[in-house]
Amino acid sequence: MRITPLEYVTADNLSQAVELLDSAGPQAAVLAGGTDLVLNLKKKRACPCILVSLQAIDGIDRICLENGMIRIGAMATHDRLARHPLLREKADILCQAAGLIGSWQIRNAGTIGGNICNASPAGDALPPLLALDAAFVTAGTVGETVISARNFFTGPGQTRLPSGHLLKEIRFPCPPANAAGCYMKLRRRKAVDISIAGVAFQAALNEEGTQVASAGIALGGVAPTPVRVPGAEDLITGRSPKEALENARAIGAACVAAASPIDDLRASADYKRTIVNVFAQRCARHVLTTLKEKGKPQ
Amino acid sequence: MTLPPLHIIVNGEDHHLMVPANRILLDLIREDLALTGTKEGCGLGKCGACTVLLDGRPVHACLLLAHQADGCRVDTIEGLADPAGTTLHPIQEAFVEKGAIQCGFCTPGMINTAKALLDENPTPTEDDIKLAIAGNLCRCTGYHKIVDAVSACACGSGKGECHG
Repeated sequence: MRITPLEYVTADNLSQAVELLDSAGPQAAVLAGGTDLVLNLKKKRACPCILVSLQAIDGIDRICLENGMIRIGAMATHDRLARHPLLREKADILCQAAGLIGSWQIRNAGTIGGNICNASPAGDALPPLLALDAAFVTAGTVGETVISARNFFTGPGQTRLPSGHLLKEIRFPCPPANAAGCYMKLRRRKAVDISIAGVAFQAALNEEGTQVASAGIALGGVAPTPVRVPGAEDLITGRSPKEALENARAIGAACVAAASPIDDLRASADYKRTIVNVFAQRCARHVLTTLKEKGKPQ
Repeated sequence: MTLPPLHIIVNGEDHHLMVPANRILLDLIREDLALTGTKEGCGLGKCGACTVLLDGRPVHACLLLAHQADGCRVDTIEGLADPAGTTLHPIQEAFVEKGAIQCGFCTPGMINTAKALLDENPTPTEDDIKLAIAGNLCRCTGYHKIVDAVSACACGSGKGECHG
């Protein structure tokens, strides 16, 4: 499978990258890990005239904690996310999801920025990012914009990334020590499979460890975009983990209500709804039980 | 705009090559460098036959543009045995000994993935091995003998072939 001849530029820095994108307009494509783009070039589903590679930009794959915010450079690979000690400690839900993407080979090349910008409804990193209340920092020639993950996705493959911009960084408030998260996805095989339906469930206790202070619940693969489920979050926040656990069935029902799956070759809409219900309840039990343990006086 | 020459270190050897932007790394390896041990299976990043190590990490050579490997080390199956070509690498020995090779098409990719796994985790569990090679498809062996071969290379496997 050959690729149509095209130009390739390795940007030395971010401003050069955005200038190149700006001057080339829609003819240009941003090359991150290439696991989707190169495949699309091979299949002639994408035919840009110029590729702007971000891989040489210093610090664009940095993962750090600064002023209470976790910051992840868009070029960080899935494998790095899955294993990163800071993320494992503070936002394990993202590590769980990143570790379930594709094969080891794909995780070594594919990036979180690519996963976000390709905006597959089934993208594994997306529901956890919604649940963590992430925001995306995009860069263009006239400066940066910050777009909430909740508002970023508009349809399959469609986002609010401003034209001429590239995604630079993902940020979210660092969850406190008494937080827990869980991502579950349905797939036909134990590894290397696309998500048929996914549930991300993140919650944190208040400082006293008595009540759930915040919750983020999001679904993937069951709507044109990943969706957050405020109706399910309301059943948890302001309650003790024990009380919240009693709402597990209602949480499942709220998630089903927020899903609008379609019948496709992977599963029927009905089956996806059933799975959302089951996984939402399993996630709720797992996270809330963990929080119950964490909330106990030491 | 002309592309600068591509610099890659393949099996320890420096190469400075003029490579068109649309060249896939796999084609560069197989056609330009004539290292045909790396196989093209699906060409779509699904089968793992083209797995090479990029700076020590397994990747699909079929899904990378050659220029994405600029400045990187690329290790292919040809670089694994000793340079004189007389002694196989312990992982290769184990694949032969355990009968982990049938048609052989998946073997170079499979061994490269196993090498990367054992380099970072010299004592993988059976599950670690299965997870690591999940992206390397084999249609002959049923995987049992491959897992046996990789297990046999683990430290403490009693074979005195502690690798990595």
